[in-house]
Amino acid sequence: MALQSDDFTAKLMDDMDSRLLDFIKNKVNSFIKWDLVRFFYENPNTTDSVENIAKYAGRNTAAVQSELEELVESGVMEMQLVEGLPVYSLASDEEMRQLIEKFILACEDRHFRVKAVYHIIRGMR
Amino acid sequence: MQQRVKTGIKGLDEMLHGGFLPQTANLIEGATGTGKTTLGMQFIYNGITQYDEPGLIITFEEFPQQYYRDAAAFGWDFKKLEQEGKLKIIMTSPEVTKLDLERVGGMIETLVAEMGARRILVDSLSHFERLSSDPVELRAIEYSFINALKREGLTSVLTRENPALLGGTESDSENIAFVVDSYILMRYVEIESAIHKALLVLKLRGSDHAKDIRQYEITSQGIQVQAKFEGQEGIMSGSPRRMAESFVEAFVKK
Repeated sequence: MALQSDDFTAKLMDDMDSRLLDFIKNKVNSFIKWDLVRFFYENPNTTDSVENIAKYAGRNTAAVQSELEELVESGVMEMQLVEGLPVYSLASDEEMRQLIEKFILACEDRHFRVKAVYHIIRGMR
Repeated sequence: MQQRVKTGIKGLDEMLHGGFLPQTANLIEGATGTGKTTLGMQFIYNGITQYDEPGLIITFEEFPQQYYRDAAAFGWDFKKLEQEGKLKIIMTSPEVTKLDLERVGGMIETLVAEMGARRILVDSLSHFERLSSDPVELRAIEYSFINALKREGLTSVLTRENPALLGGTESDSENIAFVVDSYILMRYVEIESAIHKALLVLKLRGSDHAKDIRQYEITSQGIQVQAKFEGQEGIMSGSPRRMAESFVEAFVKK
């Protein structure tokens, strides 16, 4: 008998680390966020305005703005006002940095990536 | 004897009569590929590993991961130095850096205090040009920026692009040249159908320096400044001519 879609999802979720699953479902729940997290992981001391971060990511400012704000809300990134200008950087919290590293390293595995993509697409519906 | 901030680059410290002066701004100008960033990275790396002086790199264009890769090609492990708290490579923009340095307790000020940073590479100063199209205002911005770096006790290397690959300079460096404490020019030179690289210290405020034009190479260990060009004139024009034999006899071959 074919698996129902929810059963299939449950199966996909089963063998994923619960912290990573939560990270994907609640923090990096879009492809733009995924790109941003990867960018900041590879360039960890980047500190800049949304306009410049959008340029670094090769995306438009409007698309990046809301994603950055959500990453700040979820604790992945930090925002500070520099003379009134909002400036974003990766969270300095060591636990969060370790979780980001765990996610990026896990993404090197194709099967993990496929699962992560599945969860993101499902979450976007 | 004056205290010096050694670059640790073979031949360059000799040209600078020992190195840069402490808490000064030092401009390195050259065309793309001449090795400005390599020289700056070497200044930072040698500072950390040879002179126990932690450093910062501020990049306005190249991603930090590019620095990690480029440095690794010379055997310089920048990631490890970052983990040890001796180096930070910060990607940001001139506008954010300017605002950050103007406020109390900004990111750079905090990092300098936490790391004990003594050196900084700013790559590149050319990006400040987007802050103002008015040359007078731009000079004021750059002057303020340089003074803020000095205030933090940093000896800085500032790179600057020169669009001219060969031949006469197309740079409008006159303004910034007045503001910085030293001014080093890196150029391509064509000699007998081959491209060489030439380096000249144009200015070193408060100190004497070598006036000759030296060849340099980017080796697997970084930049190495070599002997001066012999028997050539018009080096900085990009297309030198061989000097008259009698002139060589009289002034060079001693």
